Amino acid sequence: MLWSHASVRAILIVLVVALAGPGCVVVRAHQREDLAKRAMTNDRDSGEARFGEHERGSREGAEGGTGQPGGGCGCN
Amino acid sequence: MRTLGLAVVSLLAAAGAARADGSVTLRTVYYKETATRVEQPMLDSMFDVGTHGLLTAHLLVDAITSASAGSGAANAAAFTEHRYEGAAGYLHQLDHLRLGGDFKYSTESDYRSVYFGGRAELDLAQKNLVLAGGGGVSLDRVSAAAAQGPSMPTINCRPNESGSASDHCGLHVFSGFVSASQIVSRHGLVAVTYDIARLDGYQANPYRLVVTNTGFAPETHPDERLRQDVAVSARYYLPATETTLIGAYRFYFDNWDVHAHTPELRIVQQAGANVDASLRLRYYRQSKSFFFADRYDSTDPAMNNPAFKGNLTDDPKMSAFTGQTVEAKLGVLGDAFGAGGTWAGARFEGILEYVIQNNRFGNALVAQFAITLPFAY
Repeated sequence: MLWSHASVRAILIVLVVALAGPGCVVVRAHQREDLAKRAMTNDRDSGEARFGEHERGSREGAEGGTGQPGGGCGCN
Repeated sequence: MRTLGLAVVSLLAAAGAARADGSVTLRTVYYKETATRVEQPMLDSMFDVGTHGLLTAHLLVDAITSASAGSGAANAAAFTEHRYEGAAGYLHQLDHLRLGGDFKYSTESDYRSVYFGGRAELDLAQKNLVLAGGGGVSLDRVSAAAAQGPSMPTINCRPNESGSASDHCGLHVFSGFVSASQIVSRHGLVAVTYDIARLDGYQANPYRLVVTNTGFAPETHPDERLRQDVAVSARYYLPATETTLIGAYRFYFDNWDVHAHTPELRIVQQAGANVDASLRLRYYRQSKSFFFADRYDSTDPAMNNPAFKGNLTDDPKMSAFTGQTVEAKLGVLGDAFGAGGTWAGARFEGILEYVIQNNRFGNALVAQFAITLPFAY
């Protein structure tokens, strides 16, 4: 068993609340001034994010969560 | 470093009549932990291609100085090796759909990696919901060429199969992800990502030796690993104080029995139009892999606990441990210094990060400095 049923349930609940809950909200383009700010779109440059993944991949057993490819070095 | 600098100058010199936008970022990173020091200059660039395309590329050099046996050092004598990485990607807009592809090549004396990947992003509900998915293949080659001893050791590519010793081994990584991002109000959005990766091939460290009660043995890891994680995040902007709150949580699990929880909090404070500062707090906790032990009984895998399935490891990443990270970042636009023209929009960034980790790796310090320069061509 990779993880418990309780963990699976908890994650599914988070997913449903996060996506289905606000699904009926539509914020139109002219209302997105604050959503377009740097901190709300991507507060990290690609180089900063890439080094962070590289650093953590060489020190921690877990990696991922970014939707980006990892690996590519012999830092095992 | 000089090559990266020349590339920046060439890009800026090539700027002619303004037809499209782009940016170039020069970043340098200094990393230090107990036995290893890394200096990494890197160059990232983005270019508009026509009205529907975006081209990205990066180049970097890793200068790694280490006295760690896990890096190939003999008798704790520090040595330096270099890793070179180059990558390019293209993303094309097709109405509500974006399609893209990536290529990455990385090489160092004892490791070579070639990556190909593709991705798709779909805008729904007037761009309130963005769905994305993608995948890729990484074809890697591992050797012990950085060994500082009198000879290069051979590696058992498939430790549980006889006759698999070689001077290099292969590792194939097949990865994929799906993600969704949803706007929940004028000031907030949430996102979720699921990643999966299957690794097939040599996954131990060719230099590391495991201490047992009967002597030293080469590290032996399973040659198949299935890694998965689910990450959720939320961002909320407070207009009154110009503060952005970012919360994230990732749950990771794999078939080596490593489970990890990673909550993270970031606070970004805008100070006028030209300055922002942020603070990041991250906690990490993982369980040990099914074959980790503080001490093994024997160099003969068959004499150890059957639950280890013949594997031996001295990798701190396979142990149970916790870590905490504190990071401070300051970003300033050139306009704050009275710079004119292109330099008014240039962004100067400094980052200081400290990692506390209760395993053999110990604590680590990371410092970064970056300049991003927008340009038109």
